[in-house]
Amino acid sequence: MSQADDHDEDDIALAGEYALHLLDADARLAFERRLAAEPGLRALLRDWDEGFVALADDVKPVAPPRKLKKRIERALFRASDPRSAAPRRGFSLGGLFGALTAAVLMLMLVVALPETRLTPPGPTYTAELAADDQSLIVRARFDRAANALRLDRVAGDALPGRVLELWLIAEGASAPVSLGVLPADQRATVAVPDDLIAALAGGTLAISDEPPGGSPTGQPTGAVLAVGAVTTL
Amino acid sequence: MTTIADIEEMIARIGIGDRKAFASLYDATSAKLFGVCLRILNNRAEAEDALQEAFVRIWQKADSYAANGYSPMTWLITLTRNLAIDKLRARKAPADDIDDIPDLSASGPTPEEAAVAASEAARIKACLDELEADRAHAVRGAYLEGESYQELADHHGVPLNTMRTWLRRSLLKLKECLSR
Repeated sequence: MSQADDHDEDDIALAGEYALHLLDADARLAFERRLAAEPGLRALLRDWDEGFVALADDVKPVAPPRKLKKRIERALFRASDPRSAAPRRGFSLGGLFGALTAAVLMLMLVVALPETRLTPPGPTYTAELAADDQSLIVRARFDRAANALRLDRVAGDALPGRVLELWLIAEGASAPVSLGVLPADQRATVAVPDDLIAALAGGTLAISDEPPGGSPTGQPTGAVLAVGAVTTL
Repeated sequence: MTTIADIEEMIARIGIGDRKAFASLYDATSAKLFGVCLRILNNRAEAEDALQEAFVRIWQKADSYAANGYSPMTWLITLTRNLAIDKLRARKAPADDIDDIPDLSASGPTPEEAAVAASEAARIKACLDELEADRAHAVRGAYLEGESYQELADHHGVPLNTMRTWLRRSLLKLKECLSR
């Protein structure tokens, strides 16, 4: 409770009223606007929330009906179900669902638009992703004008009823980041979110075997079929 | 047994889109959070809707959880309670099927909860005990039943402004006590 010591009494009481949900709609909104701008007020509210939450100890847990979990998962994840997702330039967003923010998704839509902007300066990247036995080979080239990887699958294909998902492992990173499910086409374009472009340098691209729609966990769940280091040109 | 660290880990994984972690978090916490919804709404169908909204919100906001400094159960309970109270405020007439709900009255915390929250619980309760009984009751009513100022005023038979003054003063005393 120490962080709030320098607050005036009005704010202390106001934050308490907000925590108890006693403010009317207008006052609540006004308080939330202040919260966004005032870290000290957020700390004050957190103190109240942490203080009051112990009152919920007296609330007995009650198992919700079993069907509710399915209902929630349906509500959340249906959008990434490949059966209902609209194809977008042959690139399924399914594998990225939830892992990326709406802002990044918007960005990807923007970069999928016709290439009207000038090519920004900067390095470009290539990689050849190959299986040990050459059963799957995909060549990747970063198109800086489109902020996208142009992929050419020169050998191999997804297993029946499965899909190929592309991953980027940044240099020194502990976990790969999905770049999305590869379309069935031999040639494909996969947009790279702006915040991942820098990670291409020194990074590694990999392709894993995944269920339709892509990895449900945000991390590879199937075998890693092909790997290739990114070369900076 | 699911520990607080486990729950924190699940929230972190949900933040990067891990659906298995989401399912695990649901299994570990939905009964407690459903209890909170039921306590506030006294209506099963509404409590189910509130719990659904809470888990949708958890999925959407998990990636910002680490930055907010809340302990995981506080974050989950606060988020759920706020949604349940929003629902309570949005409805016109209070539903009244509390009889459907078995034994929602106070029962002791589970050993896990007790271990985690014992000191904080003791603190808020001790501090509430320092308030006059009816004022402590009003604070509990606001927190646990989601009562509005008008409802608190009605229950305690005082004018709305009196209740507001009482409660704000009680909050300042509580704060002073909690800060000791």
